[in-house]
Amino acid sequence: MKKKTIAFLLSMIMLVGTLIGCSNESGSEGEGSGSEDEVVKLRMMAYNPESTRTTYLQMLDEKLPNIEIEFEFVALDNFNNVLNAQLQAGEGPDIIEVGGEAKLLAKANYLLDLSDKDFTSKYVDAGLKPYSVDGGIYATPLQSWFEGIFYNKTIFEENGVEVPKTWDELIAISKKLAENGVKPQTMGAQSWEPMMKQSIGLVNNEFYADEANSDFDNKFNEGEAKLAEAWLPAVKEWSKIIDEEILTDDMLGLSYDQALDQFATGKAAMWESGPWAVPTILEKNPDIEIGMFPIPGTEEGPGWLIGGPGSALAINANSDYIDEAIQVLELTATEEAQLALVEDNAGSSFLEGVEVDLGEIYTDSEEAFKAGNVYAPWTAVWTSGNPIVQSYGKSLQEVLAGTKTVKEALQDADETNDNLRQTLN
Amino acid sequence: MYNKNRQRVFMLMILPTFIGFFILYIVPTAMSFFYSLTNWSVYNADLQFVGLDNFRMLFEDSKTLAGIKNTIIYALITLVVQNAIAIILAVFLDKKSKSANFVKSLVFLPAVLSILVVGFLFQYIMTSADYGLLNNIIQFFGGDPVNWLGDKDIALYSVIATQVWQWSGWLMVIYIANLKSIDSALYEAADIDGASKMKKFFKITLPLLYPAASFNILLSLINGMKVFDVILAMTQGGPGYATETIMTTLIREGFNSGRNAYASALGVVFFIAVFILSRIVITFLNKWERKLS
Repeated sequence: MKKKTIAFLLSMIMLVGTLIGCSNESGSEGEGSGSEDEVVKLRMMAYNPESTRTTYLQMLDEKLPNIEIEFEFVALDNFNNVLNAQLQAGEGPDIIEVGGEAKLLAKANYLLDLSDKDFTSKYVDAGLKPYSVDGGIYATPLQSWFEGIFYNKTIFEENGVEVPKTWDELIAISKKLAENGVKPQTMGAQSWEPMMKQSIGLVNNEFYADEANSDFDNKFNEGEAKLAEAWLPAVKEWSKIIDEEILTDDMLGLSYDQALDQFATGKAAMWESGPWAVPTILEKNPDIEIGMFPIPGTEEGPGWLIGGPGSALAINANSDYIDEAIQVLELTATEEAQLALVEDNAGSSFLEGVEVDLGEIYTDSEEAFKAGNVYAPWTAVWTSGNPIVQSYGKSLQEVLAGTKTVKEALQDADETNDNLRQTLN
Repeated sequence: MYNKNRQRVFMLMILPTFIGFFILYIVPTAMSFFYSLTNWSVYNADLQFVGLDNFRMLFEDSKTLAGIKNTIIYALITLVVQNAIAIILAVFLDKKSKSANFVKSLVFLPAVLSILVVGFLFQYIMTSADYGLLNNIIQFFGGDPVNWLGDKDIALYSVIATQVWQWSGWLMVIYIANLKSIDSALYEAADIDGASKMKKFFKITLPLLYPAASFNILLSLINGMKVFDVILAMTQGGPGYATETIMTTLIREGFNSGRNAYASALGVVFFIAVFILSRIVITFLNKWERKLS
């Protein structure tokens, strides 16, 4: 009997999901002393797939014959898991695509300070701000990312509706489309992201557009300001789209891919997403004519997109090939590289003097771009942005299911912020 | 014969395995007990003791508690339903006929597939999109479509259903192996005494299935408690927190949010929960065993 208990106990121990055991097998690879003739292998870990970087990677390959980039894609869902586990083990990729966590990683001394490098100063300040901590600059931005609402031009024409200029108009045309038997908007709400982003689009219009609120995000980082107070009116306005049953709870059973599919095959007139979805949409339906409009506010204006510098390249401070990694970043800070980046994933460049023509899909968003109306607070300023918007987005799912109010969802996000500040300080 | 020297040789033989086991399991487990009392985080350079703060936060956090609750519901339901179905299938299919063999392999087949494949497959079958297979079938027979994975009251049970479907066949095979070992003389004796089929099942078959049952029940319980992959494939813990489990919460807090100490505390709670639940089940199984002898 006793032996049994011990055997059982041991087998239970085996089961405990041990956190520490998850160190990673692969460190910086590549052999040799790094002399000029030898090819150095650099690991680049990214949360945007290789297809969004094809032209850029090809260019790196041609221009830097002594460096071989090993591109490692890890989806954003697991990116922090994998990266943090590797960094904790003192390993990790040589070049890291960083987003919202850049500041935390920099504070923990995982990233190389780039502020004294020449190429850093070629970028405009707005692009470097999210990656600056205590006077140091820890990453250089890739092209901006943005997200708005895609619409099917053919469906809009057939039903005689125009691109909406205000949030009420958006709701009005959605109702009209619904009356004509067309599903106005589809959404892959099984993921917590789309509702979170769309509602923040309205917050951009109603809250961040006001200069008086420019200090809010810093106060929020310090725990002195709360979303549940500041954002509430804007998010309440957004939630009309739920009250009017344009977003419905059956969308909680739709994944991103399934929503994309519905939009691409013309089963829904609108869908919230970004340029990265365009190749897949066109692949599924080459004849579709689509456009993207920014998220409109309560009053007529250029509207706002959600987005920002989004992602950037940083160098692992513990890398064995820091010089080679710097070469890559140096080359990235040229017009040619920037245009190569935009080729596969539309966005604007943060390199001074680089103009990008986005193409006709984004004509309706031009005014918003000109006004600089692109913002995503959680990647731009918030210290631990991703977990906060995750808890906000998950609570919005509960709002759509009818079990939570908008205010409670914002309070959940505030609570996550408080918890994380407590944990990480 | 079994002298001490011999014992020592045996001990030496298990040493390599034991060292691996010690380094890869016992040490990390002890470390996570230790870390659960600190403020350890990947983003935090200096380590400080914070006592039981992590545990306090854990039990105040409704999201984490939802994860614990869902895990227990998941484990208990899969345990009961899977084993019940497996026993019934085993008893009916324990025959030597071609058709029985065919049905046996049919029922076993899903267990060959990866859990992730089954998860993604059922995500498409149960989706609320227009082409959702399950809803199309329901609508064909005049019913209303159900939001299998998007309704917070249904989602967890939809996931459970897929796992019962996938693993019942596996458990059935183990029960069938056990059935073969039951002495047919017992049934003959029962026939002579005029026992009914039901009586034979409850008085002979079921009690003598003890070896397979104890193995299967513990296996279902443990697999249920650590459920993770199928949730990731089908619902990602949503909608909201309706299908979050201990493991998904642990990964979310520990790695995505960088609250490693908090996640370690959850790991400790998980250890204790598994320990208590398994104790209860083992006590029950021991009683069963004693009854037999």
